[in-house]
Amino acid sequence: MIELKNVTKEFKVGAKDKVVALKDINLHVQKGEIVLLKGPSGSGKSTILSLIAALNKPTIGEVIVDGKRVSKLADNFTSLFRRENIGFIFQRYNLIPSLSAKENVIVPLIPSNPDSNWLEDRLQELFQNFSLESKMEVMVKNLSGGEQQRVAIARALVNNPSIIIADEPTANLDKKLSLEFIEILKKLKNGHNSIIIASHDPLFFDLDFIDRQIDIHNGEIL
Amino acid sequence: MLLTPEIITILALDFIFLFFGTIAFFISIRIARYWDLNSTTPLQYKLEKQSFLVATIIKYIFVVKLPLFLFFIFTANKLSNVIVGAMCAAGVVNSVSFGSAMFFYKILNLYIFGFWLVLNHFDLKNENQPYTRYKFLLYAIGFIFLLVEIYLDIDFFTSLDVSKLVSCCGALFSAASTSSFSFIFTVNKLYFVYIFYAIFVLLMISYIFKNAFVVLSLNLIYVFIAIISLIVFFGTYIYQLPTHHCPFCMLQKNYDYIGYVVYITLYIGTFFGISGAIMSILEKKKEKFYYNVSAIFNVIYAIIISAYPITYYIKHGAWL
Amino acid sequence: MKSKINLFLFDFSVLSIFRRGSKNIFIFFVFTLLIFLLSSVLFISNSIKSELDTTLNALPDITVQRLQAGRAINMPLSRLNKLLAIDGVNAVIPRVWGYYYFANAGANFSVVGIDQFEDQYRDLYTKLCDKFNFDKLKKDSGMLIGSGIDQMLKNNFYQGYFNFVKPDGSLAKVKIDGVFKADTALESNDVIVMPIKKVREIFGMKPDEAVDFVIKVANPSEIPNIARKITEIYPDTRVITKEDLKISYQNLFDYKGGLFLALFVISTFTFFMIIYDKASGVSSDEKREIGILKAVGWTIDDILKEKFYEAFVISFVSFITALCLSMFYVYFLNAPLLRNIFIGYSNLKPAFDLPFSFDFQTFAIIFFLTVPIYIAATIIPSWRVASMDADEVMR
Ligand SMILES: Nc1ncnc2c1ncn2[C@@H]1O[C@H](COP(=O)(O)OP(=O)(O)O)[C@@H](O)[C@H]1O
Ligand SMILES: [Mg+2]
Repeated sequence: MIELKNVTKEFKVGAKDKVVALKDINLHVQKGEIVLLKGPSGSGKSTILSLIAALNKPTIGEVIVDGKRVSKLADNFTSLFRRENIGFIFQRYNLIPSLSAKENVIVPLIPSNPDSNWLEDRLQELFQNFSLESKMEVMVKNLSGGEQQRVAIARALVNNPSIIIADEPTANLDKKLSLEFIEILKKLKNGHNSIIIASHDPLFFDLDFIDRQIDIHNGEIL
Repeated sequence: MLLTPEIITILALDFIFLFFGTIAFFISIRIARYWDLNSTTPLQYKLEKQSFLVATIIKYIFVVKLPLFLFFIFTANKLSNVIVGAMCAAGVVNSVSFGSAMFFYKILNLYIFGFWLVLNHFDLKNENQPYTRYKFLLYAIGFIFLLVEIYLDIDFFTSLDVSKLVSCCGALFSAASTSSFSFIFTVNKLYFVYIFYAIFVLLMISYIFKNAFVVLSLNLIYVFIAIISLIVFFGTYIYQLPTHHCPFCMLQKNYDYIGYVVYITLYIGTFFGISGAIMSILEKKKEKFYYNVSAIFNVIYAIIISAYPITYYIKHGAWL
Repeated sequence: MKSKINLFLFDFSVLSIFRRGSKNIFIFFVFTLLIFLLSSVLFISNSIKSELDTTLNALPDITVQRLQAGRAINMPLSRLNKLLAIDGVNAVIPRVWGYYYFANAGANFSVVGIDQFEDQYRDLYTKLCDKFNFDKLKKDSGMLIGSGIDQMLKNNFYQGYFNFVKPDGSLAKVKIDGVFKADTALESNDVIVMPIKKVREIFGMKPDEAVDFVIKVANPSEIPNIARKITEIYPDTRVITKEDLKISYQNLFDYKGGLFLALFVISTFTFFMIIYDKASGVSSDEKREIGILKAVGWTIDDILKEKFYEAFVISFVSFITALCLSMFYVYFLNAPLLRNIFIGYSNLKPAFDLPFSFDFQTFAIIFFLTVPIYIAATIIPSWRVASMDADEVMR
């Protein structure tokens, strides 16, 4: 369960100025729920996601995930929190281009020094699911956009996260690949994962597996 | 002043410690003063990040210091060839008035820096970081200790004098010596042996019941009695000479460097015992891992050290 | 507590080194060169030291010189009996020797006179005696020369003999009876051995004088006592014991090595700045990468660990590479160029081989002076990188 309580987020710009990205937001996401955050660019969607993932801290208010006050965690504990709970799908894939597909997927697991047999099985499973078996050893920068997106999804899922966060996941994909992505997303809904998508792509607007759509405007929930 | 490559090496690393230690010191002071996990100010975020710099620096200093200390003894042993009268590190170390004190001081610092790392480890295990303030205060004190150590290093190496005649260990570690610990040679050495084994048995029992205060005090006593009994009794069996009481000569090649094994096991055993006990008190929970490591190494120490007189007795059918 | 080494992290670090190859290769080369210089110098000085040690061990227990106005002058043979009478003295041997300056080559030869199988030379010259007939040498008034001198004379077109210029200007032609190559090349390469009578003739010395006395002692622990007694009997003498020589040689070498090291330490700190600078320059790609790592759950500690592995791998590989290179350079190639620093008198002391001598201590010194310093230089830059904000990736 994810809870944002009276969250305001300001960004300092320059020496004195500040941008108010979020204004006194309250948000509740249930376990297993799929939520779409929509709104124009600059409305504060990414900021909400980064607060949930504890990449950032609210200026006022607090963020609570599974009873844990993640907005109070010190930097290294936020990392541990993400490692255990969050799977990230970014707008720009955010893969490490000079590593192979397999190496990219392993990255989130490296710090926990996994058992190598278990890891092999997990990778086989993921790469099969995303029909990437033949691309395992290929360097990511030599993969097509769709393949890169699938590698990015595989990476987000490798740690079995309870929360999946996708920031503009279709922004760099053409229509066909976008629909493909939506199919994958549909399969991820299993009642255990909360999925939060931030997007202004109309493709998402009338999908029946999305439980709730939230409109954001100028840092406020409408 | 002697300008040997060994001394330059030690001083160069001292300089690095000084440089990074000072940076860490100033950050530590700030953290100790302003740390507030509940605050969301930029200062707090900055301190959270800087705390990792300090931790890294301290890890670095400790990890380099451990082998460097062994290297220091090694160097002192080597200098004994150059300094007239010295046969081993004991003579060299004691060629300056504060030699012995400096030596024990260095060991004390190894315990302090090591304990800092343990405290840090526990601090970072808990989201509330309960020990942050204390660990940085501890470092601030540890840094002062480090400064003194570096000063002593420099003073020591600059006052070494090749032409000055120094005592060899035979003279230093005997009843006739005027040093503060010479009284131990006037007591029947078997008493120390009995005490050593008595403490050892009590220590082993304490690991069963795991009362932190008992484990802590017994480990502290164990270090002292282990070293004293090593000097008055067990060492003589390593050397196979009833009059050879030096705790340094066993670090030399003639004795297969057995001294390094002996002291390192003693250090690990008591270090884990002491820090495990302190952490048990702070965490209000028995730190089994630390106790186990401590027990294992303390047993290894006792076995090694007992093996010498026993094999001697088996071979010769008599005690020294 | 998990103590298993994280091989995945290690792999990742090694890959990172290669991924940022051009930056790392530069550091690797400079660092390897630096370690190479350091270890070569230490190896050479060790080698020379061990060579000297062998020579010094062959030295007499006590050497007695006579001083006048602070300079050594010849010793009357008449003093011999009084010295022999001191308790504990086994033998007193008068030595006749000197340096002959050979102007054409600009070099000094050590000319040593021997009579028979004198004790003090036994160690040094028994090997020669197997090969050369000393009786013949004496009859002919010929000489034996070290291989270095042989080379030098050949270069100056002397074949089979050499003309010494005596103090009165006349020439003494001496036949070369043989060439020797001793174990301790450093000391005996420039030595000429010939009968005492001939040495006296060449240097114009009186027959009842020697250059100095060497004394053999029954019990080495008595040396300081005997030395004291000698100065009591003959206050105008200088008594040099083997121990004195050893210590002063040791100091001289430690001093020379130390001076070099001091320079080395300075250059190391320069290098420290270079690494610091290189490691601080973080590209935008690298920044993004750190952001990704933190977003997917790496802690500051994990990134610091990764950076530490990188630094350790680079510095350790440099260390091993440089060590191998300099072993090859010093012991196989005989350290061309560099050794001249140590044996400044290279044309006086002709060529010799550097004997292999390697101990744990040298290894430790080289290690401590390089790897930890490299790693230290990366501490602050690594921490800067590791503590960057992760929300970079969201933009
Ligand atoms: N790190 C930052 N520094 C300054 N301003 C920021 C930062 N991140 C976001 N903002 C500002 O906050 C507002 C919300 O941004 P964002 O959450 O990225 O919007 P969206 O994802 O909906 O496009 C924007 O005005 C943006 O300029
Ligand atoms: Mg956005």
